[in-house]
Amino acid sequence: MNNKDRILLVEDEDSLAIGLEFNLSAEGYQVTWVNNGKKALEQFNAGNFDLIILDLMLPYVSGYKVAENIRAKDPQIPILILTARTSLKDRLKGFEIGADDYLTKPFHLEELLLRIKGMFKRKKWYQKSIENMPSFRLGENEINFQNLTVRTGQKSFQLTAFEAILLKYLIDHRGIVVSRKELLEKVWNISSDIETRTVDNFIVRLRKYFEPDPDNPVFIKSVRGVGYILIDR
Amino acid sequence: MTLKKPSTVFYHVLIFIIAQLIWFSLLSLWIYWYVTNYLLLLKVEDKLAPQMISGTTNIVALISGLVLLILLSLSMSIIFIYLNRQLNVTRLYDNFIANVTHELKSPLSSIQLYLETMQKREVSSDKKQEFLGLMLKDTDRLNQLINSILYLSSLEQRKLTRKVSHDYHIFDTDTIIREVIQESVQEFNFPAKNVAIEGNASCQCVIDRNWLKIVFNNLIDNAIKYSPKLPQIKIQLNPGKRYFHIEFSDYGIGISQKDQKKIFNKFHRIYNPESPNVKGTGLGLYWVREIVEYHGGKISVSSAGKNLGSTFKITLPIYQESKKRYMNRLLRLSRKYQTIPETDHEQ
Repeated sequence: MNNKDRILLVEDEDSLAIGLEFNLSAEGYQVTWVNNGKKALEQFNAGNFDLIILDLMLPYVSGYKVAENIRAKDPQIPILILTARTSLKDRLKGFEIGADDYLTKPFHLEELLLRIKGMFKRKKWYQKSIENMPSFRLGENEINFQNLTVRTGQKSFQLTAFEAILLKYLIDHRGIVVSRKELLEKVWNISSDIETRTVDNFIVRLRKYFEPDPDNPVFIKSVRGVGYILIDR
Repeated sequence: MTLKKPSTVFYHVLIFIIAQLIWFSLLSLWIYWYVTNYLLLLKVEDKLAPQMISGTTNIVALISGLVLLILLSLSMSIIFIYLNRQLNVTRLYDNFIANVTHELKSPLSSIQLYLETMQKREVSSDKKQEFLGLMLKDTDRLNQLINSILYLSSLEQRKLTRKVSHDYHIFDTDTIIREVIQESVQEFNFPAKNVAIEGNASCQCVIDRNWLKIVFNNLIDNAIKYSPKLPQIKIQLNPGKRYFHIEFSDYGIGISQKDQKKIFNKFHRIYNPESPNVKGTGLGLYWVREIVEYHGGKISVSSAGKNLGSTFKITLPIYQESKKRYMNRLLRLSRKYQTIPETDHEQ
């Protein structure tokens, strides 16, 4: 493990934050803890962090706003939302604004640590992987994996880190059926029995971006009962 | 946490307008039916014996029809008003459920974290003690929350029955209030130097000590929660002729004029992005008001403005000076139900 990995922990519950700080430090991460949204943005702008653990219900600036602000400045930094809000709506909103992972309280310590480890691993795999293929053309879309932008004709838009990683994985394995289980293990670095719906949510978003008709996909197709396949025409 | 703007208001108004249109068309239909039938009746009247149909019955039919329709519209309006109220309560209730879930899950996840930490790692005995302390604080928080929900439902019944335990006694006001405040302050580990109790209330009052403590616990808790730093609290005691007054002032973020009206409502929470705290159930001040009113008193709030603090003014009756009958009833019931096993009322 890289001892220099720095985590910004944004959590306003003192007792939970103390325990998290203890555990993350024990895993060799360097942790900075702040207890409100305002301080989170100040710290983010001042420091150089590798990962953010973010609560949603925060004083002064909400977790969503913090995530949006951070995303606008850094499209690649992994953000893990750690919250007591369990509704599908909150979850989707979290991913919508660019969170890479969403874990609900109460959580298992082991699972949290695994997810964090997975996020770091993924970040490194991605950085290595784009050295060989910095951009890719999918239909009318020109994908730049370095700054995570997609150009479609005159328009361009931004991908989140997770979307880019998933897309990269599918492109690297284009023409081959990739199971949800594999995606969860390789992209999310989590065991597949946790949440397969996460994968589906992301696929839906990728289709919205790249498919001329998201309901009848031509690039990212579902293979019933197995998973997904990316077809490059 | 946040109270979303009711997006459904538009639909409520729409439903109301549609309902009004329906009853208006019903009314028109009725008049139309009456007029057309009246002409028909006149024709029939000409053919048949003229004495068969008298004009007065027609007017009676018209008026009674109109009265019926007006009653119908009135009852529709009443149903609409109550439906609206109910919808509002449901919305607040949903918010409350979300808040309570959050409040339950936060301490629970922290306890789970410490247990798993101790299972996974070698923890030094110092750290272990620290973690145990934090866990106990969390169990305490859970206990308080569960109690507050349980006691609230019993208090809400508003009936002086066996279900709500009574422990009303006659106290020397000055002594009991100072004692209870001191206990609350200690419970919150709040520095005593930040609390100033001024004035004195040299009179007697009828009070349930446990309930009174919940009042001060909530007020102090709010003062701490809604101040960016450790707050200064000033409590002013003023004896009146028939009632005595307690003014509880903090120097926190204050409460806007608009929110002052709603702050005691059940489940109501103020969403203020500048608030240093976002946690809560929306029950605390509602509960405070219920308790004060149960004691025959009143509570109100005022605020000099943003960041200038808030003042809660509690007015309670002086024993034998006002609300004599009510006070005696409280005392009588306390004596009557004294044999009930005591439950821990502390919040």
